[in-house]
Amino acid sequence: MRTTGAAAAGVGALGLAGCDNTTTPIGAETAAGATGEVAELVVPKPTGPAGLPLPRPDNSVTWAITDDNQPVADGLANESGPLRVYNYADYVNPATVKKFEADTGTKVQIATYNSADEAISKLASGAVEFDLIMGLSGSNIVNLIAQRLIKPLNHSYLPNLEKNIWPELQDPFYDRGSRYTVAYVVWMDGIGWRNDRVSEDIPAMDVPWDIFWESQEYRGLVGILDDRRDALSMPMQRDAMRTGARPDLNTEDAALIDKAQRDLSELSEICNPKIAITDYQTLPEGKTVLHHSWSGDLLGAAFYYMPKGVPPTVLSFWGPEENGVVQNDFFCIGKESKSPVLAHQFINFLLDEQTAYTNFVDFTGYTPPQNGLDADTLLERGVIPETLQAAVVRPEQFAANQELLQLSVEGSRLWDQAWSQFKAG
Amino acid sequence: MQQSRWTWRLLALPGVAWLAVFFLVAFYAVLAVAFGNQDTLSNPVPFWNPLDWNVGYVLEMLRNYWEGGPFLTVSLRTIEFVAIALVLSLLIGYPVAYYTARHAGRWKGLILLALILPLWINYLMRMLAWINLLAPDGIGSEMLHSLGIEWAFLQIGLLDEPGGWLNGQPITVILALVYGYIPFFILPLFVAIDRIDKRQIEAARDLGASPLGAFLRVTLPLSVPGILAGAVLISLPMFGDYYTADLVSASTQTNMIGNQIDIFMRQGSEKVTGAALTLLLSVFLLILMLYYLRTTRQSGTSAQTA
Repeated sequence: MRTTGAAAAGVGALGLAGCDNTTTPIGAETAAGATGEVAELVVPKPTGPAGLPLPRPDNSVTWAITDDNQPVADGLANESGPLRVYNYADYVNPATVKKFEADTGTKVQIATYNSADEAISKLASGAVEFDLIMGLSGSNIVNLIAQRLIKPLNHSYLPNLEKNIWPELQDPFYDRGSRYTVAYVVWMDGIGWRNDRVSEDIPAMDVPWDIFWESQEYRGLVGILDDRRDALSMPMQRDAMRTGARPDLNTEDAALIDKAQRDLSELSEICNPKIAITDYQTLPEGKTVLHHSWSGDLLGAAFYYMPKGVPPTVLSFWGPEENGVVQNDFFCIGKESKSPVLAHQFINFLLDEQTAYTNFVDFTGYTPPQNGLDADTLLERGVIPETLQAAVVRPEQFAANQELLQLSVEGSRLWDQAWSQFKAG
Repeated sequence: MQQSRWTWRLLALPGVAWLAVFFLVAFYAVLAVAFGNQDTLSNPVPFWNPLDWNVGYVLEMLRNYWEGGPFLTVSLRTIEFVAIALVLSLLIGYPVAYYTARHAGRWKGLILLALILPLWINYLMRMLAWINLLAPDGIGSEMLHSLGIEWAFLQIGLLDEPGGWLNGQPITVILALVYGYIPFFILPLFVAIDRIDKRQIEAARDLGASPLGAFLRVTLPLSVPGILAGAVLISLPMFGDYYTADLVSASTQTNMIGNQIDIFMRQGSEKVTGAALTLLLSVFLLILMLYYLRTTRQSGTSAQTA
């Protein structure tokens, strides 16, 4: 399975001699825990960065709280700030932030990143220090822990966690007991389209994903998510849906990843898709009519980006009932935070039902996992058009679908290479 | 005497220091990463000592080229795009520079200002403006339609379908590159033509050359250094460009080498490969630069001896 990594690491062995743990061969596999003769009784699982376990629904992980990295003590008053937040752009309502500033009398400074990889490498470089980091997910958790970038939480400052958040996300498998992270928003991968421009009844198709391979008519107006994990997992879901099998969307099987890349590359000939994450603008403007989309982008599009005279009901969304991607991201607190109490307060503030609701419908479009908010309530309030009902994620969808999770270093290489091949056209 | 020589050398110090810190050190860091390794957290581990260098990743990349992998595809495409953009820049830019230098008279200043004016607006903003102009219902695309240009492009197969300028067309990316960088081509060319001694042209005419003959045998050869300088000035950033293709196309069919570097450096987990690709691009550009320096030096000496 390992060809390129072996070559790279092997040739470098000379130069690596004498270094410390940077000499560990890339993606070395060990059966976690078992040693000696009994080790052979366990089928080894790929291990994550630095040899840590890779959390999976069937392999939940409790991260230890170490002596040198303790949560902040109970009952402290909040610091004077400023609260330094690291987040995706346009991923929290500025009005919500202003309200928090007014309530606490502090300043909030938001810096933004463009991709999770960028965020992790900047945090790891130590060049930037943040009190609160938002928007990272189960695909980054091992990196955050392994590089000791985050601080454990003190739940006494987070009463809204237990009160408001879906039970399914209170004790997630990637961070049992929410020791380091608290869920922020949820979404699913699906198809977004303009129902006034696309004539096919997509949800009624046997395999709705097939629409992308039958989209000659919409050539140039089709989009695929510009994210290697989301994009390459889409043909995997399509294959699984055809055969009724359950796919592993976190596979490290080179043959499966290659197949996904080849399937995706077929689209160039068929519809020459744009590889983009700007569907929340291009769908409302009609610059694309069919897009591989995150559910939250369609809702955001309906809430904000409709041009004058175009009703939000022209947007439709479909997501698979099972074996698709349903995911959440989280809040976490920076290891060297100077305002940890204030950071907890900000999290608790955003976990408040009313705050979460306005942040969602006035700005982000990404559903907060709040007990008091469900698709029916939102429809009753007339906030969401009927055609986008499927874009509101429900708690029970987590069990039947999958999250895109952190891979081993070697597995990550395979996905990177397939993505590079696809993007080269 | 001694003192003044030192003063002159001191004046060069800021430039030299700038180059040392922001070019040489930075470039050496790219080298150290490209010939380094990555740790078990996918972080690049630079090897600062050349004796330790790990050629594994660079070899891996070269093998990718040898086997006709994605890096070869995007590199050939990049060379093609830049070459066509250079030819178009020359065809469009030369007449403008020539007219401005030789015939614009008192409008010279105004034309130069008009050439520089777009540069006051951020490159991204200019490209975003084109996206609205070239959208199927945009003014630009309607104009191209009514002028018959769209028809012509459709006939020669440069455009997929009416109004489809932004549907991932290579020609749109090339034209966007030309639009974005052409002022940097025209300005050095203008200077070169402007500096041509008019008496040389008059002498050619006096000796019986036709206007065209004088242009081909005097003006054009004397403006070659300007053409080369402009070509170098715009081809270097074009080779590294990735956002133009992203903005006006975003199709995999128009991705350039810069887009591949972006994948590895910013989006992916493998920065070492990104550094190796950066290194390769630099070596390629260095060869082009050396060719340019050699040609200009030759033309400089030949002009002196002539």
